[in-house]
Amino acid sequence: MKLFKMPPQIVRLVLLTLAIVGSYFVARAFLTPQSFGKFGWYRANALEELASHTPVFAGKKACDECHSDILEKLAKGAHKTLSCEACHGVSRLHAENPNIAAGKQTEEEVTGKTTGGRIELTGSHCIRCHEANPSRPAWFKQIVVKEHYEGKCTDCHVPHQPNEMP
Amino acid sequence: MKTRFNRRGALARIGGAVAGLLSLPVARTVKAAVQKGFVTSGAPNGYDPSKHKWLMCIDDTRCIGCGLCAEACKKENGVPEGPFYRTWIERYVITKPKAGSGQTRGETLVDSPNGGMDGFGPPPVPKDQIEHSFFVPKLCNLCAHSPCTQVCPVGATFDAPDGAVLIDPNYCIGCGFCIQACPYGCRFLSPVTHTAEKCTLCYHRITRGLKPACVEICPTQTRIFGDLLNLQPDDPIQKFYEKNRVQVLKPHLGTEPRVLYAGLDKEVR
Repeated sequence: MKLFKMPPQIVRLVLLTLAIVGSYFVARAFLTPQSFGKFGWYRANALEELASHTPVFAGKKACDECHSDILEKLAKGAHKTLSCEACHGVSRLHAENPNIAAGKQTEEEVTGKTTGGRIELTGSHCIRCHEANPSRPAWFKQIVVKEHYEGKCTDCHVPHQPNEMP
Repeated sequence: MKTRFNRRGALARIGGAVAGLLSLPVARTVKAAVQKGFVTSGAPNGYDPSKHKWLMCIDDTRCIGCGLCAEACKKENGVPEGPFYRTWIERYVITKPKAGSGQTRGETLVDSPNGGMDGFGPPPVPKDQIEHSFFVPKLCNLCAHSPCTQVCPVGATFDAPDGAVLIDPNYCIGCGFCIQACPYGCRFLSPVTHTAEKCTLCYHRITRGLKPACVEICPTQTRIFGDLLNLQPDDPIQKFYEKNRVQVLKPHLGTEPRVLYAGLDKEVR
């Protein structure tokens, strides 16, 4: 005893539609990542994944843990705004293990010998910033290296205290 | 009238219900297994993105064009070799006007050899023909209304609650829509992963309480970085925006960047 009888082709169409829509919801439930929609229309776990990379640069704070004496001197001179790693190179490995020389980034580079933190100042460290260039702001100290001096920068300048003579 | 329930039908129904109940845990296990392929645990470190609001400020009167920031960014983030930069430096050279031209200035020349990573050589025109010349560091402008996230067809790029605009590398399909949408040219297609890449504000550093690599390495404090929701006493970022008259790049686009510049020229785009 049925109230109304649908033609069989309509019943089949309805069932097919329900099956397609139903399979969409099933697939959606399975495939949507759990964290999707936590903060917005994206996968919130991506934030954690991006945050999970290991930092490369140790940062000045890490240097301050052991070399606070040098940093105190540095803070008195014109180079106070410099980060240690700007000249000494990437030094996270050195910060984790002081036996590894500063400026070594990869395990291959690490030879086990420490240079005691000294870097070979080729002058390129200094002129990268201090070579005269009309695009540099006028307040910044600049020199034309060829006219300035032919020897090493460190003959007359202390890198950590640039206003002092060695 | 025929009865609606017979023994065989009832047994079949009960059996079906039990089988359905039994299959639920199996379905859950399968679901978890499927999701494992999409979800990795990452490294939770108690960082709550809704409790921070990052801001980058650039004092353009201080940039000396040394290129340490661009170099540090490549090292820190493993940016592919070649002309791919998450941050870079542009050199603007504005020449003097021709005599009698009635103009205040001549041509504007912009270059960025290797993103400024190796520093800059002599300017393209002799010094006596230059009216103004300066460097401009560029990076993702951290738009509050970011065009790049609006065009992503798969929800792979998004504005994080802390103000960073990020890319989910597992979901990016590399279609390149966002690269075309960014008005600042801050995105590129990585030749290694074939997905879009951009400045993440060194997300792995700022979530650990470190500064982004470019800010850490900048020798003149051109780049200043801070958290508006956790301002320290005499925070450099607060000093910056209180002391300077700031502007953003391409303000007419309504993108509302969170990278503030001080001391820019009108030619800078």
